[in-house]
Amino acid sequence: MILPRSIRRIKERYDHKDGPYASLFESYDGDEVVSLDCETTSLDVKKGEILSIGAVKIKGNKVMTSERLDIKLKPPESLTGESIKIHKIRASDLSDGIELDDALDQVLEFVGNRPILGYYVNYDIRMLDKFIRPRFEFSLPNKAIELSHVYHDIIKWKHVGGSVDLRFDTIASQLDIPILERHTALGDAITVALMYVRLKHGEAPAVSA
Amino acid sequence: MPTSFNMETMPFSLLDENEQQLLRQRLDIGYYQSGETILAAGDEPEGVYIILKGKVSESEAQQEGVDAPQHIFVHYTNEDYFGAWSAIRGTAIHNFIAEEETICHILSTKTLLDLMSSNSLFADYFQQNLAAKSEIVAQHGAEQDMAEFMLARVSSGVIREPLIILEGTSIFDATTLMREKKSDCMLVKRGNRYGMVTGTDLLDALVIRQQPQSTDVADVASYRLITIDPEDYLFNALIVMTQQHIERVVVMRREELVGIVELTDVLSYFSSHSHVIGLRIERAQTVDDLHEAAEGLNDLIKALVSQGVKARFAMDLLAAMNGRIMAKLFDIVVPADMLPHVCLVVMGSEGRGEQIMKTDQDNAIIHRDGLVWPGMQETMERYSRTLIEFGFPPCPGNIMVSNPYWVNSLGDWTQRMSDWAESCSGEALMNLAIAVDAKPVAGNPAIFKAGRNWFMRHLRNNDVFFSHFAKASLEFDTPLTLFGNLKDKGQLDIKKAGIFPIVHGIRTMAMQYRIKATNTFKRIEALVEEGQLKEKHGRELEEALGLFIQLRLRQQLKRSECSDEGIDLTPNIIDLQSLDKMERDLLRDALHIVKGFKKHLGLRYHLGG
Repeated sequence: MILPRSIRRIKERYDHKDGPYASLFESYDGDEVVSLDCETTSLDVKKGEILSIGAVKIKGNKVMTSERLDIKLKPPESLTGESIKIHKIRASDLSDGIELDDALDQVLEFVGNRPILGYYVNYDIRMLDKFIRPRFEFSLPNKAIELSHVYHDIIKWKHVGGSVDLRFDTIASQLDIPILERHTALGDAITVALMYVRLKHGEAPAVSA
Repeated sequence: MPTSFNMETMPFSLLDENEQQLLRQRLDIGYYQSGETILAAGDEPEGVYIILKGKVSESEAQQEGVDAPQHIFVHYTNEDYFGAWSAIRGTAIHNFIAEEETICHILSTKTLLDLMSSNSLFADYFQQNLAAKSEIVAQHGAEQDMAEFMLARVSSGVIREPLIILEGTSIFDATTLMREKKSDCMLVKRGNRYGMVTGTDLLDALVIRQQPQSTDVADVASYRLITIDPEDYLFNALIVMTQQHIERVVVMRREELVGIVELTDVLSYFSSHSHVIGLRIERAQTVDDLHEAAEGLNDLIKALVSQGVKARFAMDLLAAMNGRIMAKLFDIVVPADMLPHVCLVVMGSEGRGEQIMKTDQDNAIIHRDGLVWPGMQETMERYSRTLIEFGFPPCPGNIMVSNPYWVNSLGDWTQRMSDWAESCSGEALMNLAIAVDAKPVAGNPAIFKAGRNWFMRHLRNNDVFFSHFAKASLEFDTPLTLFGNLKDKGQLDIKKAGIFPIVHGIRTMAMQYRIKATNTFKRIEALVEEGQLKEKHGRELEEALGLFIQLRLRQQLKRSECSDEGIDLTPNIIDLQSLDKMERDLLRDALHIVKGFKKHLGLRYHLGG
């Protein structure tokens, strides 16, 4: 039976209330956010495998790059030429990677019940869920923050009519944020975190069409 | 932060690979919007902030109830770091405010302290003053080799073991021994003293004076030995030889004989062509010969500086060379019977030995009271004209010997100095400032010394004069906010901002304590020795002045290469955009030192506000 995500979350919260992961389901009342990004072999969740996971905490106006997650996984069988072109990650780059089980433990531990921030964050969350569900019997219950929505909400007031360009590089350049390392999980997570901090704490950017 | 943090710049490039790894793992990133206070005075800083992008100002803590505009000390921009001092102290003493949207890397105090305890150079860089900083930079800079080469000490391997013979040896035996040892010179020991005998001395004795071969060599030796300390710069040995027209100096450690340094050895050590010019000056017989030699000087300086030789040392060499040219020309132009009665002095930067490119002639004649020499005016005009031909530009203020105002008898000269000292007008003080830097270069130096010593006694305890004289050093503002304007203006008059306040302040103190040296670096050393300056402050001032001169010289050379006539029209302008991050950093520290020195002068000479 396919349940809507919101209903499923209530059910899973109930199922796990005495389990070791109960704290993940508590509502979060701190001021931290986790910016997270996965590099995968495919943009299709069903086919994709996770290659690396990067995450940083955001606290107020600071990106806590000293508290971060930078995980490389063992190379999956599906590592093909197509994704290598995008990520420049070859099997040999992952030869010292860790097992997926360990990686997921680390992710849950790091993220806790904090909101998860990302650029097209639902893709990353669904990708993680795909591997978390069979092992832990729940999906990530965290609140998701979509960077392009945050951007759009702020920009649209300044930009009456027409559509807002939500491409990653466009957002970064409109916000005048240096792109630190495009296409590594941690680099993208940090860039997204900076854009988020910029949007939350800075003045609305003057947008040029 | 994997790669976004630039480890190439000082001081982070001092860290080894593991330390850099640690640093990368521990960095955070902060975002501040325009006008936001990053760190307020009194706060406990999180650590050192390194600007990734943006601009930050450091300003004085606002006093309560005072509505004065904030005084901004410094601007920081991309790749600069700030807050290190505050982090080490534990509390911030100033306000740090984002002037525009700013993103900073933050290195936590704990990590900073960890790195400082594991890497002593890194620690020095954060804790030390400018002097230590520039030393670290010098040691790690690309100019390392040249700097070391120019900073070679006498003891670094060119000292020859002297051939020593005892009193009573005949010329014949001595010559045989010299031939055997393939030596061209020897030291004769007579009692406790050493005398030097060279091949030339022996020839003179045998051929010119026709002394017998059995003559005791101790009788032909010269006992007025020119000596140098083994720890002195080899470079200074070269200068001494050039000045004294000699080809070897004796190396003495206090009273103990160490060896001999030969000109040829020094020259082969310095494979540059400075010696060629030096020798050509010495050998010049006519004005034309000298002219040719003088033309090589600018090239020499360019070569030295492009090889990374510190401006301060290039300056010493050039001062010696220019002095020799002027003296030689004076000897050629002035009749020999007049030489003992006149003294040529150079003044201003020339007198201090601090000019690098040939600067204006600032010279004067002091002659004996009651000297009758009808052709003097004409001779002096010829002298000035020839120097202009040599490439020493005429003085715009006409302070040169062709101007009768600057040709004086000793009596008139001293009278004039004391008139200037009493008058207190701007022009008089400027003349006086130029004149107290005077140094004799040709003729009879005793005449000059009599005048100088009289004047120094004359000023003794005249506190009102010193206070008035010192005031000029506070005349120009020393800006520290200039880096904020990097994009718009980006120019700094380094003479007004940095050089003049130090030179003039030190000049005033030197006069007050009757220090005879004219070179600012030497004056500083003397003032430190007298206990009038703390050693630390003295060193800082020397470093700051050295840096200003170096930066100025480099830009002068660049500009004179770009211009058609090879002349730099704005010799004192520093173009800030062409400085790299490291130089900006050092310049900022150096200007801080000037500020501190001005404050010190203000207190010392009671110059209110």
